[in-house]
Amino acid sequence: MNYPFWEIPFLGSGWVIGIIAIFHVMISQFAVGGGLYLPMAERKAMRMTDPETRAAWLKQLASHSRFFLVVTAVFGTVSGVGIWFAIGLTHPEATSTLIHNFVFGWAMEWVFFLVELATVAVYYYTWDRIDPKLHLKVGWVYGVASAFTLIIINGILAFMLTPGDTWIAVAGTGQEASKFWNAFFNPTYWPSLLLRTCVCCSLAGVWALITSSRIDADKQPALKTSMVQWSVKWLVPSFVAMPFLMIWYYMMVPASQQALLTLGIDTINAGTFSAVTRMALVIIITSATIVGVAYYLAYRNPLDFNLSHAMAVLLLALIATGAGEYSREMLRKPYVIGRWMYSNGVRVPSVARINQEGYLTHSNWVWSGSDSSYSRGEAIFRGECGSCHTMDGYRPMRQLLAGRDRANIGSFVLMLHDYKPDMPYRRFMPPMVGTQQDVNDLSDYLNFQVNPPAAPRVLTAQK
Amino acid sequence: MTQKSVASSVYEWVDERLGLSELVAFARHKTVPVHSQTFWYYWGGISLFLFLVQCFTGVLLLVYYRPGAEAYESVRQITFVMHFGWLIRSAHSWSANLMIFSIMVHMFSVFFMKAYRKPREFGWLSGMALLGLASVFGFSGYLLPMDELSYFATKVGLQIPVAIPFVGAAIANMLRGGPEVSEFTVQRFFALHVVVLPALFLPLLGFHLWLVQRHGNAAPPSVEALPPEQRKSMPFMPNFLRKDLAMWLISLNILALLASVFPWTLGKPFDSLAPAPAGIHPEWYFMSPFEMLKLLGFVFSGKYAEFGEIAGILLFSLGIMLWVLIPFYDTRKPTGQRARATHYFGLLAIFALLATTILGYWTIR
Ligand code: HEC
Repeated sequence: MNYPFWEIPFLGSGWVIGIIAIFHVMISQFAVGGGLYLPMAERKAMRMTDPETRAAWLKQLASHSRFFLVVTAVFGTVSGVGIWFAIGLTHPEATSTLIHNFVFGWAMEWVFFLVELATVAVYYYTWDRIDPKLHLKVGWVYGVASAFTLIIINGILAFMLTPGDTWIAVAGTGQEASKFWNAFFNPTYWPSLLLRTCVCCSLAGVWALITSSRIDADKQPALKTSMVQWSVKWLVPSFVAMPFLMIWYYMMVPASQQALLTLGIDTINAGTFSAVTRMALVIIITSATIVGVAYYLAYRNPLDFNLSHAMAVLLLALIATGAGEYSREMLRKPYVIGRWMYSNGVRVPSVARINQEGYLTHSNWVWSGSDSSYSRGEAIFRGECGSCHTMDGYRPMRQLLAGRDRANIGSFVLMLHDYKPDMPYRRFMPPMVGTQQDVNDLSDYLNFQVNPPAAPRVLTAQK
Repeated sequence: MTQKSVASSVYEWVDERLGLSELVAFARHKTVPVHSQTFWYYWGGISLFLFLVQCFTGVLLLVYYRPGAEAYESVRQITFVMHFGWLIRSAHSWSANLMIFSIMVHMFSVFFMKAYRKPREFGWLSGMALLGLASVFGFSGYLLPMDELSYFATKVGLQIPVAIPFVGAAIANMLRGGPEVSEFTVQRFFALHVVVLPALFLPLLGFHLWLVQRHGNAAPPSVEALPPEQRKSMPFMPNFLRKDLAMWLISLNILALLASVFPWTLGKPFDSLAPAPAGIHPEWYFMSPFEMLKLLGFVFSGKYAEFGEIAGILLFSLGIMLWVLIPFYDTRKPTGQRARATHYFGLLAIFALLATTILGYWTIR
């Protein structure tokens, strides 16, 4: 509770991260996949015996690498910085934990990132300027560096979902960093790494399809055929391995989180409740379509494959990536760091203490002017519920609570506060923490919003 | 015998009896014109695909749906209890809306390409009839869950036929099965929705598709005016078919995305004694006629109100008649040029549709 609350009306702060993150993931995974694709393609071209095809391939690769440089080094880096801003503002507490716990990890990440940026620039600007063998080596350095950025960040991302028992045992003792490697190689590390590697390769293929779809089929039919077909092959490993990897990943997630998936099979409930199942469906169907389009339209008929087909594939890939990241976020509910910190920044072991001493006592950035129940309730709402709910927009309070009166709202909040083991909301909502007074204040505020009194708006509680 | 020769002898056996190779030869010769507006040719196929989705999901819903007094309860079970019932129901509702949308796009593209001209008059007429049936499908299907919204929207919707002079009230009573929307209404709408309408729709659809095969795709006048050597075309098999199927696949994706990200919800069970909830309005494809009648009601208010309703219905029927009969007065000109007047009529129709629909949604609040 050492930070101010960041409120984004209507959209909710979670979506700010979400939108930037989907964009960023799409690009950075392309950067990793492309890191493999470019040197592999260059090596293949250099081994070609026919000088004409070789020259055509290399020319095509040079133009693809310009596009690659712009997309990854400009949009990728800018959106990456954007994520830091967004998570720093939305989940300051969690961001702090990640930074403290993985100091060495971040240091490695940034070293590789710098190497990546430097080599991609060198790679692009030295086509035809240095010895081709050396140029290829630069490409490999780029590929390895970008692969390592994934290998490292994956440990941190997977940690947030499944920190692992060893780390949990030392969490909060000040000795967390001593279990660095346990936290890093956590239960979902390997399935997640392999999944992401597959995604990287397919994204490299998808983006390569975009540039190769633009080759003129009338002027260079042979080049177009070989380029398109070779790019399609990059999609193959994912679609063979993906289903198995997803099952493996799912098995490593705690059972309480697994329940979120089966929850949606037979119920839609009020709204985003069953989002994981629904997102899983989206992933399955878009992936199947990508396979279909890639095989029939691209692999079998490369000459007819045009930019709009390639854009359709890209769009589908974007949807699949977005749905995948969204379900990963949903699986993590109600935690931001599994079993250790709730989405609203409250640490699991501090719940009892806050319940005793009051939520606002521990929030250092709450204004101290007006001390009405209403405004205290508003502060509590922003702090405890604001990371997942808004008043009118995303997961709107006014709509979710519509039709309930003050007593009913009060008992709902109390139920969240008591957090009994069999309460269904435990699956996705953290407890409401604070004293009995806090419970009342929050209920007053919510009641005021949901059932506004007809009289002119007053800022004191209606007790 | 090798596998291949088994397959070919089976084929020969069937071919001898059904004449498959004629079909294959026919399909091989069929071509589709290629020009800047080729994109619009896909919308008929998309509509067909969505109709197939309707048949498939509709049959699945039929397995658990119970009309009459238990209608709401059975839809509740489908939505909340059956595995993936919510998905099938959402897909059915979304695909219904998308189908009507794509039929409309198809209709307007045919209109502006003047594809209704000789010899394709029957194609236009049957297409219009299909659109009419599709909207009745929509109207009858909307009531079936019998939740609050569908109950009151149907109640309001059935006010429109009442405005027809002399027979209006009788027609409305017959549709309702009494003076009020009730279990009997659901029973009737159900019969309409799963028996009567399909029995009309399917043969008509067959006829429509047969006509398309017979006459092929029409090229717009600007393309027809070109000398033959400048006109481009692609074979239907496999080029156009492949692109058609790709479109189907994309439609399926959009449908899946909508159905799973925005699942169709179920409101409270209807209560005929409760006051109508705020914001009752017809489905979007009925918004425009609904709003036009409402506007005419404003124009002729007070003691002319009844006259206004009749005038509204007359005017409306006249407009539809003009639209349906277009192939008969906008005939082929020797120069191959488009007729300006009908072109503007089409633009006016789009404008009126959009304007009244937007106005309708604007004024709900
Ligand atoms: C970890 C994110 C998260 C936090 C924090 C959170 N909620 Fe929720 N809440 C959810 C989700 C997810 C749902 C399910 C929404 C749905 O079904 O559309 C939900 C649903 C609800 C509902 C509707 C329950 C129902 O029966 O339909 C209410 C009321 C609610 N939350 C109140 C609160 C209050 C009050 C707080 C703050 C103390 C809070 N939530 C904090 C995630 C959260």
